[in-house]
Amino acid sequence: MSNEPGPSIPDVYHIPASVPPTYTPPDSYDSFRGTHVPLIIDNGASNLRFGFSTSHTSPSTSSLNTATLTPHSAANVVARYKERKYNQPLLLFGDGIDAESGAKGQAKTPWEGDVLLNFDALEHALDCAFIQLGIDAPGVEHPVLMTERLGSPLHSRALTSELMFEQYSVPSLAYCVDSIMSFYQNNRPQASNAPFDADGLVISFNTATTSVIPILNGKGVLSHAKRIPWGTQQSTEYLLKLIQLKYHSFPTRVTSTQASWMLYNFCEFATDYPSTLRSLKVPANLRACERIVQFPFALPVVEEKTEEELARIAEKRREQGKKLQEMAAKNRMEKLVQKETDLQYLLNLKDGRGDNKREWTNTLQSEGFSDDAALDETIKKLELDLKRARKKEVEGGDEPEEPNFNLIDVPDTELDEDGIKEKKKQRLMKAGFEARARARREKEKEKEEKEAEERKDEEERENNLDEWAGRLRREQEVIMNKMKERGRRKAALSDRKSAAAQARMKNIASLAADDRVSKKKRKAGGEDMFGADDDDWAIYRKINTAAASSDEEEDYTQLQVIESKLLQYDPTFTTQHTHAALTTQQSALISAFRPQYEEGDIAGSTRIHLNTERWRVCETYFSPGMGGVDSAGVGEVLQSVLARFTEGEKARLVKNVFITGGPSQFPGLRDRIYATLRPILPPEMHLGEIVRAADPSLDAWRGMASFANTEGFKNVGVTKEEYEEWGGERIKRWWGGNWNPAE
Amino acid sequence: MPPKGGSKKKAPNDGSTTHTPTLAEQLSYLQSPRPFKNPNYTKNVNRRTKNLKTVLGQERERERAGRERKRQEREEREQAMDVDGAPPQTEQEVEEDVPTYTSIEAPPSLLPPRHYCDITGLDAPYTDPRTGLRYHDKSVYELIKGLSAGVAKDYLAARGVNPIVR
Repeated sequence: MSNEPGPSIPDVYHIPASVPPTYTPPDSYDSFRGTHVPLIIDNGASNLRFGFSTSHTSPSTSSLNTATLTPHSAANVVARYKERKYNQPLLLFGDGIDAESGAKGQAKTPWEGDVLLNFDALEHALDCAFIQLGIDAPGVEHPVLMTERLGSPLHSRALTSELMFEQYSVPSLAYCVDSIMSFYQNNRPQASNAPFDADGLVISFNTATTSVIPILNGKGVLSHAKRIPWGTQQSTEYLLKLIQLKYHSFPTRVTSTQASWMLYNFCEFATDYPSTLRSLKVPANLRACERIVQFPFALPVVEEKTEEELARIAEKRREQGKKLQEMAAKNRMEKLVQKETDLQYLLNLKDGRGDNKREWTNTLQSEGFSDDAALDETIKKLELDLKRARKKEVEGGDEPEEPNFNLIDVPDTELDEDGIKEKKKQRLMKAGFEARARARREKEKEKEEKEAEERKDEEERENNLDEWAGRLRREQEVIMNKMKERGRRKAALSDRKSAAAQARMKNIASLAADDRVSKKKRKAGGEDMFGADDDDWAIYRKINTAAASSDEEEDYTQLQVIESKLLQYDPTFTTQHTHAALTTQQSALISAFRPQYEEGDIAGSTRIHLNTERWRVCETYFSPGMGGVDSAGVGEVLQSVLARFTEGEKARLVKNVFITGGPSQFPGLRDRIYATLRPILPPEMHLGEIVRAADPSLDAWRGMASFANTEGFKNVGVTKEEYEEWGGERIKRWWGGNWNPAE
Repeated sequence: MPPKGGSKKKAPNDGSTTHTPTLAEQLSYLQSPRPFKNPNYTKNVNRRTKNLKTVLGQERERERAGRERKRQEREEREQAMDVDGAPPQTEQEVEEDVPTYTSIEAPPSLLPPRHYCDITGLDAPYTDPRTGLRYHDKSVYELIKGLSAGVAKDYLAARGVNPIVR
């Protein structure tokens, strides 16, 4: 959440929840049975639109306003899926696939990009379409008008024809290009049977391609048409890739459907892309124009324990601790008692030692002692333990008692073997004792010194705050500089060609060089005197590329101490000045581009901010190179298409520029095309208003329906007899269809 | 062939299941009758769905063969005319180029490509020599320095530049 004043926080848009599809019963066929009303199929890569060219209520074709007809429209995907729950095989079509989550993985579409390839899928799709229309005659007894792609490969057409004629027994079949039909719908001649002779330039935005088709005298000049391999499919993928790169560790997966929803709702064309970018350089503008998309998230359930529960838990823990302590004390008591009884037993044993030596040794051995001395030792140890334990209980402290060192000063000669051993032991103990005392004294001295320093510091601080603060700040800077220097040095060392790395190599080489030791010395058997001088070893610090971590840690802790003192006492030193804040500071641009949310902000971390992507994705239509496709963009293609016509023809074409297709609804497209065309035309040529299809998605179908109701329709189709004679690839050439018949 | 069933049946399965049909089953078209299909038509089941590459390759071949043939015809015609000695009066209409799938493909771009920042999308005057990413200013460069090799490659792939794996 931005906390700054100024422009209001933009609205947050939520990803729409997926709506389960509803079942629609098939249409009634009664009004169409036996009437031979043309059947219109707009076979699009994203949607299949199908229907009869007239409506139910008014089957007469004379005065029909096809602008009100609405075809069935379904996503052009088919899935054969075996349902897990009841083990039923299913054939789902279009939106029905959303009903079964597993079916999406099995979905097949007849189109691959721009080419109709998968005819099984097409067959199923057409089956479902015809079933939806309710056809129950022994064949599809209607002349069919279908769309195909601009310059569709003959293979696709052959198989489609085969399917339609052989499988569905249609009487005649005609192909047309969808964008030309959309143009027809919007430029229809007034009289219903007048020939179509409009002029215009059609820019069609399809799913996987974008095409530019010039139309002269009502005839599509397809030889001069051009097709760009960039369409909504590629744009959606590009947007998805951008989002995934920007939000690398996003908690949920962003799907293509969500990406396409975002594309349709937030993306727009920039009239002048470079100037738009220049305005977006300023972080404030970035924030102003961003759109926030909130993804669904789940709040983690935090069990709030009530006060009493917390108290109860604490009580329990304390009791447990006490119990453990008691148990430990009991153990110790038991052990003590055990030791006492042992000691007693052994003493009794010793007292009860008779004069008989052999018996004594036998008894000893049966007890597990090798000889008399061992027994004495054990007894002494037990006594010591007991004494110590009792003292601990009584005093609770361990006092270093001064053991006796009486034998140290006695010369060796006066002692016997045992005495000598004793003396050695005592000497060791004394040395240890003295060392410990010395260490204790040093520690105390250090503590006193530190306290004195702190007192001095406090005095200085209380007397002269500014100077004290200044001094500390300087120290902090020095340390930070050292750390930065170290970081820089580490980076320089990793670069092979930097001066630091080369110096390092020089050092290594000189260490390993043969002429380190002068020839004379070597001949005389001299050795390399490397380590004699202590400072020589310092060279290893320089060579070692691994960071000196102990130094870093020291610096770091020192820095922490200084910073905490400053934070506490100096009002002008805020958390912003600490080293941690300075190193992780992001520039204003990056934080506007991709705002970071706090750790615990679940809602924030499932948000996507779209700022530059909104224009970047649409710009790819005009320069597909941004998205990795090496092709000319819409602007360039328009220019090259227009260049192949004469001036007069050009004038006729640009008077009526027409855009159609789903993406033509994105805002800003018309201005952009106008701005693209105006510079490449001579200034006196009149560039008409860019016209958009009245209904970009359905107008192609409507145009086909209108055309099917005219007289001209009968002449353009291939009848069944002609199909059987020529085969599936041959078509009649007409103004709305493709030009590539087979030879 | 008599239609399989004149009545229009709804999609749910018949009898084999005893549960109420789920939404998916209602939407399924598997069980619906298809009287309009010609039962005599046997699809060539051995026909494998050709993939895009083969189809386009076929088109190219056909186009090339067509062009060869046309050229030959023209040469023959010219020779015939020369033999006749008469100038070609009835010149046939210059055959309009028949557009095929490959011929109407847009040409590659001739404009010099503009450099856009791979991270932010803004203008990018600079390029990072280590990864090849384009960036907008030095704060973006700090960000790039911290990227791992995989992420940098992903950015490049979005632009269509696929660096050779070193």
